[in-house]
Amino acid sequence: MLTQRRFVIGAALIGAAVSYLVYAGIRTTSMYYFELGEFLAQRDAHVGEALRVKGFVRHGSMRWDARTSELAFDLARQDDSDPVPVAYRGILPDMFSEGREVVVEGRYQNGSLTARQIMTSCPSKYEPAKAPS
Amino acid sequence: MPEIGRLAVCLALLFAGYSVVTSLLGGVRRRPDLVRSGEHAAFAVGALVVVAAAILLRALLQHDFTLEYVAAYSSSTLPTQYTVAALWGGQKGSLLFWVLILSLFTAIVEVQNRERNRALMPYVTATLMTIAFFFLSLLTFITDPFERLPVAAREGADLNPLLQNYWMMLHPPSLYTGYVSAAVPFAFGIAALASGRLGDQWIRTVRRWALFSWSFLTLGNLLGARWAYEVLGWGGYWAWDPVENAAFMPWLVSTAYLHSVMIQEKKDMLRVWNVVLVLLTFALTIFGTFLTRSGVISSVHSFTQSGLGPFFIGFLLFAIVVSGGLLVYRLPELRTPATIESFLSREAAFLFNNLVLVGIAFAVFWGTVFPVLSEWVRGVKITVGPPFFNRVNAPLGLVLLFLTGVGPVIAWRRASPRNLRRAFTAPVLTALVAAGVLSLSGVPLGYAYFTFMLGCFALGTVGQEFWRGVRARQAMLHESAPRALSRLVGKNRRRYGGYVVHVGVISVFVAIAASSAFRIEVTQPLKRGEEMQAGKFRLRYEQITTSEDAHLSRLTAQVSVWQNGQRIAMLAPEKRFYKKPQQPTTEVAMRSTLTEDLYLVLGSYDRDSDLATIQAYVNPLVSWLWLGGIFMACGTIITMWPAAAERRATAYALGGARVPAE
Repeated sequence: MLTQRRFVIGAALIGAAVSYLVYAGIRTTSMYYFELGEFLAQRDAHVGEALRVKGFVRHGSMRWDARTSELAFDLARQDDSDPVPVAYRGILPDMFSEGREVVVEGRYQNGSLTARQIMTSCPSKYEPAKAPS
Repeated sequence: MPEIGRLAVCLALLFAGYSVVTSLLGGVRRRPDLVRSGEHAAFAVGALVVVAAAILLRALLQHDFTLEYVAAYSSSTLPTQYTVAALWGGQKGSLLFWVLILSLFTAIVEVQNRERNRALMPYVTATLMTIAFFFLSLLTFITDPFERLPVAAREGADLNPLLQNYWMMLHPPSLYTGYVSAAVPFAFGIAALASGRLGDQWIRTVRRWALFSWSFLTLGNLLGARWAYEVLGWGGYWAWDPVENAAFMPWLVSTAYLHSVMIQEKKDMLRVWNVVLVLLTFALTIFGTFLTRSGVISSVHSFTQSGLGPFFIGFLLFAIVVSGGLLVYRLPELRTPATIESFLSREAAFLFNNLVLVGIAFAVFWGTVFPVLSEWVRGVKITVGPPFFNRVNAPLGLVLLFLTGVGPVIAWRRASPRNLRRAFTAPVLTALVAAGVLSLSGVPLGYAYFTFMLGCFALGTVGQEFWRGVRARQAMLHESAPRALSRLVGKNRRRYGGYVVHVGVISVFVAIAASSAFRIEVTQPLKRGEEMQAGKFRLRYEQITTSEDAHLSRLTAQVSVWQNGQRIAMLAPEKRFYKKPQQPTTEVAMRSTLTEDLYLVLGSYDRDSDLATIQAYVNPLVSWLWLGGIFMACGTIITMWPAAAERRATAYALGGARVPAE
């Protein structure tokens, strides 16, 4: 019976360790995920934090410098309103183009987003992207 | 023709429903005639679904663009092998493909077991047909693969270019096979609970199916990783995307089951736990399908929403409630008096291995659903990315690797000091020597260091087992070493097959640790003739070429690779521009060796300045990942290969079955 109790304690310890790892992991690595509208409403509260923002690449805003691999564009609503400037350095994602829906991961500072990563919505594996009505 | 396909699906739905009802009635009232009738209906479902799938395949191959599915996922210029792959490339087709595998497996299960497991089979049939009924009703009422377009399309929209890849042809079918075959152990688990025959019979019956399912999940995950590595062009093979996690979670729980079931066979312990694992594996496969189909959790794979989410959640809840209810109902009978006697025993090592595996599955689950939960609870979406999964799983993975070394050789019941010395002296010495070598060669003290060290420890235990087994045979039977080895493995397939799988697992661990800790990434814009350095390689951008065919146009950079002043390879990373759907893709160029992969991406090309941006990765030991997969596959085949006695018994049973019952 004594060993039985020790086993329950051992199992509980593993459970506690996993829970702690999950808890600490989420605390230190999680970030907010905003639609552009939500982001605009609360951006001042999240200055300097790592976050993700989903929006559209504003038509006519994309500037790409091949020599330095620097990309600048505006993240905006689908109708190109409410632009937020984005700066990024790195490889241009395949699906990136003006008018596309993208998710920008980065930090917001001094009125612009500095992107660490840009994710393009690949047309889903299972359903063709439908034109929004 | 498509109307016949639709009719076949509708009829299959009716037969599946009939089979569920008659099998249940036959089981409860002990009416063999009803049970038989239910079985026959299950065969009919199989035949009808084969017909439906064949018709859809025919429509694809004949480019029948009057069908919405054909027009959406193929085109007249799509190469034939990808036209076949379009059968599972879209949602509707993949659901039909799913039912196809399920109903074929059901037929095999019926043939294998209707004489052997008479008491269980009615409930097995009913369970499998309930699952088929669910999928068939989706195909009948929600997403009809045989839907006609109001006006026939002149040309198809084509398969997503990212899916037009060799690995992508193999990855979904093997993953589906793994998913669907997990339904067989689940059905037997349910049958055991429903019929009250809770002994070892059902466990023994599903052992092969569980292994089969596990091996295809393994294969499916590795093929998916291979696909991501070759096609997505970001230099890695695993991104902890929800869709990847969906396939990883059932694999983890299934792995736990394969281990804990040994404890039940040997010691008659952990019965409840094993049932829970079987039920959980199945629930996770349905949850995985839900994740990939619903778009509830934003992932690169699923930005668009589809209306199937609620149905899957409904079915999942139904499965959980029914199986949970049955489990609680049988709980008093499932309990066994046997207990684990000591921490230092194989039982304990296996139990802890189970807890860690399920713990990892739990962490992955939590990280995957966290965005949705946080949105429900706090109204804001909070995402966790790869850093979360890596942080949580790296330490748990190390514990698992350690237990991989301990479990197979520690004594049952209670390990004596003598047993511990005998079992662990050589492996611990191996690990210490490895640690010395690692320290001397300047590997920093981190996860990779401990992974290599514990990998050597685990490898040491496996090597020692083979060594001792061969030596014992040589001493007693005077056999030559190769003959002793093949006899040793042949006479203990499960044990030594399992060891070979472990070697594969160790190889995968080492590959993951090395390629995440020591990868080199360099990005540089180059003019013709300019060079860049990536690790020990010197890369020279020679020229750019273009080519075009009906399907796509290519932009290819020619890059020569130099090492120690010698030209060792020419690599040609590409950008492809598919014509329909208009989409650019990246075609990676790789030079793969046992020690490292040189992985080149043509990031961009600017016509005006003639600048090509080359992105180079040096990924150490990635080949070991695929090599590990091959080891795991070989080990599984050794384990599943029937022993001579079993082959005779099967031959006898098959011969006996041919004798008429009267």
